[in-house]
Amino acid sequence: MGSFSTGSSETQISTKEFMEQMNFQLAQAYVEKFLQTVRDKCFDKCITKPGSSVSGTESSCISRCMDRYFEATRIVSRAFNASR
Amino acid sequence: MDSSSLNSVELERFLNQEREKAMLNEMVAKLTSVCWDKCITSTPGSKFSSSESACLSHCAQRYMDMTRIIVKRFQSMQ
Repeated sequence: MGSFSTGSSETQISTKEFMEQMNFQLAQAYVEKFLQTVRDKCFDKCITKPGSSVSGTESSCISRCMDRYFEATRIVSRAFNASR
Repeated sequence: MDSSSLNSVELERFLNQEREKAMLNEMVAKLTSVCWDKCITSTPGSKFSSSESACLSHCAQRYMDMTRIIVKRFQSMQ
């Protein structure tokens, strides 16, 4: 017994397919959550006085902020893994 | 028998691994969020200063020390 069937339809997927689908969905969920965090942090840092559009200065700030947040995640991840 | 499918023991192991991976990812995300707020106080530059990167690293380590400290103190309060 290595496969699943969905309720009403006759289709079955294998355990392997299920695992692959789960992997993909988990990765997607992780990216979505990560980008929401980046948006919130960089909005705080870069959009201090919201104008009628995003300025060039704000735009550069956002790019730098995203790079820095990615880097911060790497630094923290390394420290976390070193102490496990 | 579908030769490409795996048995339910493998599935259970997979789910346990994924659960643990998700928990670890969440911990790192939380640490990064907290430590970013603590350590990156000015507008982000094109790279971190050495004090900013040291702060991030230290922050993660000290935050993890906290659990041990709090549990220990709590136990001594019983």
